[in-house]
Amino acid sequence: MTAETSEHVTQPLPGTVQLGKEIERSRGPWVDAGRRLIRHRAAIVGLVVIIAFILIAIFAPRLTSYTYEEQNYLAVNTAPKWVIDVFPKMKATGEEMGYVRVNNDYLLGTDALGRDLWTRIIFGARISLAVAFIGPLTSLLVGTVFGMVSGYVGGRVDNFMMRFVDIMYAFPTLLLIILMMAFFRASFTQSEVGTLAYRLNKIDAAFGGMLFIFIGVGITSWMDTARLARGQVLSLREKEFVEAARSIGVRDTAIIFRHVLPNIMGPVIVRESLAIPRYISLEAFLSFIGLGVNPPTPSWGSMISEGSQAIKSYPNQAIFPALALFLMMFAFNFLGDGLRDALDPRASEANK
Amino acid sequence: MPKQVRVTLFMVLVLSLALTALAPVSAQGKILRVGMGAAGTTVEFDVALATDTTSHTFINMLFPGLAPRDETTGLPQHGMAESWTISEDSRTYTFSLKQGVPWVTYDAAADAVVEVTDEAGAVRYVTAQDFVYGALRTMDPATAAEYGYLPAEWTEGGEAFNSGEGSAEDVKIKALDDYTLEITSPEPAGFLLQVYGEWLFAAQPRWTIEENGDSWTLPGNYHSYGTFVLKEYEPGSRVEIVKNPFWTGTESHPVPALDVIEARFLDASASLAAFEAGELDTIEDIPLADLPRLKVERPDELYIGSRDCTYYYGFNVTKAPVDNVHMRRALSLAIDRQTLVDAILQGGQQPAGFFSRPNFAASATQEEYPDLGTRSDPELAKQELELYFQDTGNTLATIPPITLVHNTSEAHAIVAQAVQQMWKQNLGIEVGIANQEWQTYLDGLTVDPPQVWRLGWCADYSDPHNFLGDVFKSTSGNNHTMWGNEEFDALIDQAKVMADFEARKPLYACAEHILTWEDAAIAPIYFYTKLSMIGKHLDSSPSIIGIERYDKWDIKS
Repeated sequence: MTAETSEHVTQPLPGTVQLGKEIERSRGPWVDAGRRLIRHRAAIVGLVVIIAFILIAIFAPRLTSYTYEEQNYLAVNTAPKWVIDVFPKMKATGEEMGYVRVNNDYLLGTDALGRDLWTRIIFGARISLAVAFIGPLTSLLVGTVFGMVSGYVGGRVDNFMMRFVDIMYAFPTLLLIILMMAFFRASFTQSEVGTLAYRLNKIDAAFGGMLFIFIGVGITSWMDTARLARGQVLSLREKEFVEAARSIGVRDTAIIFRHVLPNIMGPVIVRESLAIPRYISLEAFLSFIGLGVNPPTPSWGSMISEGSQAIKSYPNQAIFPALALFLMMFAFNFLGDGLRDALDPRASEANK
Repeated sequence: MPKQVRVTLFMVLVLSLALTALAPVSAQGKILRVGMGAAGTTVEFDVALATDTTSHTFINMLFPGLAPRDETTGLPQHGMAESWTISEDSRTYTFSLKQGVPWVTYDAAADAVVEVTDEAGAVRYVTAQDFVYGALRTMDPATAAEYGYLPAEWTEGGEAFNSGEGSAEDVKIKALDDYTLEITSPEPAGFLLQVYGEWLFAAQPRWTIEENGDSWTLPGNYHSYGTFVLKEYEPGSRVEIVKNPFWTGTESHPVPALDVIEARFLDASASLAAFEAGELDTIEDIPLADLPRLKVERPDELYIGSRDCTYYYGFNVTKAPVDNVHMRRALSLAIDRQTLVDAILQGGQQPAGFFSRPNFAASATQEEYPDLGTRSDPELAKQELELYFQDTGNTLATIPPITLVHNTSEAHAIVAQAVQQMWKQNLGIEVGIANQEWQTYLDGLTVDPPQVWRLGWCADYSDPHNFLGDVFKSTSGNNHTMWGNEEFDALIDQAKVMADFEARKPLYACAEHILTWEDAAIAPIYFYTKLSMIGKHLDSSPSIIGIERYDKWDIKS
């Protein structure tokens, strides 16, 4: 009897047993994913580099004795000895055909206004990282909710919402964002005190011109995620556990966020982490063409743009920020790859 | 395939490639390849509407004036006018024109320059009537030319016509016969010949303008008569002009030695890269950062010379906070001009405390008026800022945001950032910087100028009136400050008609004082120097007047 009782206790009703197993197993995939990620060596390298960049960005003021906007007119276009040795085309004054003034006070040299390159690069990391987080964040918030609602509600609403996405898609992203940036800058910079445009402009100025980049990236980045989320929801909507939740009277919002959302997070996160390098390069590109951050706020894009003008005489001014951009893009790409392998093993199997 | 055959085939391929690359040079003769302006620069080929030096570079070659200035001395030479007489009251100029100069155009189908003919098939020659038509068209209010005020000011009856009150018949510019032109000025002035001599009084082709309207400047519709003829124009990227075989030469415009001039619009760094790779023969613009290297690596190709232009920041005096004179003075005083030219520009520029070039006969000079105009003085700047605060009740935190706008260019961006930093350091004012492509920028300046903007002004004729009168008189189309001052206008009007150049100096000094200090409508920054790269293989005559005359250059053989 005792045996029977114990058996009864460990295996009560079939439904409860399944629920208990569900809870245990739902912790499983994430742990498995974590393990797979740790085994992915490139992803770990990427992660370490990203963490290093984050630390550098946070502690930027402590890593330098200059500010990014400080202009030293006595040290315009200088380079330290080691930089001159690294770049064979650069020749220090005093040598034959030498023209580069040597100044070892600045780690990587100075730009055309006598500003420290190292300081500008580490402060520039803030911009790139901010975009790397804000881009996916807006995309996740807007795109996922939009897609889930569209897929879950279905019918005419779904049709209407997806046509809206189609319309947004019809605009060439880059063109749209360039137009928007030009519009924001033109219409908000000369506005009456007290209006909304004036306040937006003030906020933008306080962020060194990043606000409009965020808005631009946000507006153009969520459509992919929305489509992905909708597709996932469509296939999940008819699954038994959703049916079950619905049958016991769980509200639609609760079903969407508590039951559907955790199940689509994997693919969505994978897609967003793979998209991060695109946001970073988009910001760099906008700054390169002069529509990004406001001078003197440093951004790698604007630094590369400024440096490229002197590339023949002072290659260090363009190459160092380009190197930083390259490193960060690589790191995020590696991490994204690793996350895909970890969270979406089927997709990576299919890719192999 | 045996190896030898492959090698031979390869050699043939290389050879044919090399030959195709060389072929156009030999077929088209001497080609001068020029790097100009910034990428995206558009050229205005309409004689009446052009306002910038790039456009005038072409117009001066395509439409020689009556007595164009020599680009190396700034003095008038015989151009389309073979001789002239001046009346006793110095107001009436009678020009007798060069005869037998045909209007020409480039015929794309025939790939040749052809003479323009009228309905009857007879060749159209440049006549005095074409000159009358040209000047009147530029003045005509219907043309809405920014430069319209200039010929109007110096032709009797012109100002009334230009302002829409008078009629064209009452303007005293007359063709006495086909080759005699008479222009009467309302007042005498020492520099009248220079005004009449330039492009504003050049001939314009009535028939094609009336037939084609605005599109008369398109290749095919575009008729000209000078040393070169427009062949191709790709807006924003390149212009190709070819030698006019029918041009017989004048003192100012000798028969050119070159056959083709190809201008490409590139940013300074791309331009220099192309020059160093041998793809361009000369470039007009050098990136600031490359100057030290070029000084040591290519000293015999680097050209640093005089150039009659002034770089300045203008204020829109109707927009807060630069509607307040103390704010404008503070901003102007806070610019450290000496540092800017010495440390950042490094091209031998001179800091400018006032606007007109000091090297003209009637100009105020720094030697005679050492304290004239504005200067760089952070302490005084702070005092002026205090006065602004007292005037308006504002504090540093409540100053309306200021935006400094410049046309897209590497050098302007660097100057703007340096000035931005100086304002922040000396005054604590943070300004935003924006840049716009050239044509958009110019349109914006005309319609709704930003609070602070940059421009340069190059002399159209070598007299301070061209700077003070033609730019900043309240009636001038070049005045984008929205500022006007009756006292200033009166001084200018008084000075321009005086024959004694020494006596004019103090009047211009007073005018400068009002413009750059008392009202501080602009902040002059520096006097240009010309920085360019000129290939060793060229026979060149670099210009001091801001506009190159490439048609006089040659390639040494």
